[in-house]
Amino acid sequence: MLHAFPSWFWYIVLFLVPVAFVVVASFGSKVPGSAGRVDFSHPSLGRYREALDQTLLTVLIQTMRTSIIGTVLCLLISLPVAYYLATKVSESRRGLLLAVLIIPFFTNFLIRTMAWRIVLAPHGLISNLLIDWGLRDSGIMLLDTRFALQIGVVYNYLPLMIFPLFVALDRLDPALREASKDLGANRWRTFVQVTIPLAMPGVVAGLVLVFVPLSGDYITAAILGGAKGNMAGALVAAQFLQAQNPALGAAVAVLLIAAILAVLGAFAIIGKLTIVAIRRNRSVATVPV
Amino acid sequence: MSRATAERIAGQLSRRDFLAAAGGSAALAAFLAACGRGDSNTNSSGDFAKKFNLFTWAEYDDPDLLASWGEMNITIFNSNEEAIQKLVSAGGVSGFDIVVPTGPYIPQMVREGLLDELDLGRIPNFKNLDAPYIDQVFDPGNKYSVCKNWGTTGWIYDTTVVTTDIQTWSDFIKAAQTEASGQTSVLDTPPNLCGIYFWANGIDWTTEKKQDLDACEKFLVDEFAQHVKAFDSYPGINLTQGNYALSQVWNGDARQGLISVEDAGDDPTRYKWAVGAPETELWMDNWCIAKGASNLDAAYDFINFILDLDNSLTDIHFHGFNTGLKGIEEKASDMPYKEMVFFTNDEVDRMRAQTINSAQDRLVDIYNKTKAKAGA
Repeated sequence: MLHAFPSWFWYIVLFLVPVAFVVVASFGSKVPGSAGRVDFSHPSLGRYREALDQTLLTVLIQTMRTSIIGTVLCLLISLPVAYYLATKVSESRRGLLLAVLIIPFFTNFLIRTMAWRIVLAPHGLISNLLIDWGLRDSGIMLLDTRFALQIGVVYNYLPLMIFPLFVALDRLDPALREASKDLGANRWRTFVQVTIPLAMPGVVAGLVLVFVPLSGDYITAAILGGAKGNMAGALVAAQFLQAQNPALGAAVAVLLIAAILAVLGAFAIIGKLTIVAIRRNRSVATVPV
Repeated sequence: MSRATAERIAGQLSRRDFLAAAGGSAALAAFLAACGRGDSNTNSSGDFAKKFNLFTWAEYDDPDLLASWGEMNITIFNSNEEAIQKLVSAGGVSGFDIVVPTGPYIPQMVREGLLDELDLGRIPNFKNLDAPYIDQVFDPGNKYSVCKNWGTTGWIYDTTVVTTDIQTWSDFIKAAQTEASGQTSVLDTPPNLCGIYFWANGIDWTTEKKQDLDACEKFLVDEFAQHVKAFDSYPGINLTQGNYALSQVWNGDARQGLISVEDAGDDPTRYKWAVGAPETELWMDNWCIAKGASNLDAAYDFINFILDLDNSLTDIHFHGFNTGLKGIEEKASDMPYKEMVFFTNDEVDRMRAQTINSAQDRLVDIYNKTKAKAGA
């Protein structure tokens, strides 16, 4: 057991214990008139009843919609990039291109997101370019909309999708793709029937790595989304900071975790069913001689 | 240690086990060290280092002025509730020396044991403060706080987009619902958001009556939320970027916005600012010393420094809020936009201070519901 020591120690101290604090706090109640003290004398599910009103459900649906769209967009953008990097780029240039991808993300997350405010402002970079080229008469009104929020989250979480995909595609033996070509499959069928299924662990890793943090993210929403960018994480923060009600904030946080797990579970089930359906469809039948 | 012993130890302890134990104990040591307080900044002779930790609002003091005094670590908060929550959860070891809360929140902070009593003997420049700004109802005798500056809430709008003249909060609401729909920003704090409704309808904004709060919620959620573009407590910096056509704003922030519009070479007369009417907010932010402050000497020295008339004048030029010192209005006669800093008696008559009361939780709830509806 000693040789596994660091991992279970970190897991318990840095993960299970803090989550347990949050779950336990959600059963308490607010001490009236206090600034954020939790009263544990009458543990109850009352906070969950308070949390499960229309506000939270509306916001949870918006949050899930934003994160699912954001994750899918990340996947669609990352797949060609990762595929190109893994298969078409020579070994020598690959390191350089990977560095080019990662270096912008050495900048602080907040500064990168704030930079989009300057780029998307009605008197900002893109606006002025479009006006100069005669494509628009007035500044673009993209900032503080859900569209700006989508741009922001896709931009911020792209490397989390590109790198697992790259690693998975890089591991593929090129001989498998050549074999598929020899056996008569065109590029598209090779991609869909050989490359993607073999890279599937990387795809799943990327999807989870992007979806889970994105669902909890509210900083990007606060900076780029304006009023339209309400994410569930902001509700949790509002309860802890503005409302001085950590018990209710903990309940909302637990509900958010449950929602994320539910969505992941739903997609896992859909994925499994899809694979079963495809397999049944593509089973090899013996041809009567 | 003999060679035999060493070999026996090497046999039982693999490199992986050793690294694991070392890593665990290093982590434990770091964890325990972080739990403890930072070291104090006084050396044995009693001279103090000119540095401390400041917990305050954004863009609130002239950075050059602060640098001329000494060194400080500034942490920002966006609302008093957030500041109090952070101090409470830090449990007395927040590491902050000076905190700058708004007046009505000070009684709550005192009750929670977050503030140290002030020794006014260590602040000789306290006598520079004008009579109306000391001995406030939220802190009689200035036991815990000293006035930093006071200000008010109003609106600023782009006259090319909003062509009707805005004279009252009712006009503000109407403009937000029509000409500036989808281009309006409101302050990101619960009392200011609900204040829009109360001030427009002649209701005391410290009301605790259920029917007032219900009416406020109904209005904000059903008729107002969908027109809001952003909940932004600092819309002044957005003036140069043209993000909002109409904003609820604090006077100093609006002034900073107009000055940056001028600096960018654009025309500031395009924007019109006014103090809220028929009623609006009167808020006062204060220097307070946090409980558990480790740089007390530096903190007192700084408060004394900032209450000096010339230093206060420099600071006013930067943040644009009246610091309440005697004679500061005469000295600041050449200040740009000084009508946004020093108000007429009519304007001051319209201002009402906030009270923290039983309606607080309900206000936050209304604020959350409004935000949820605005995002729909």
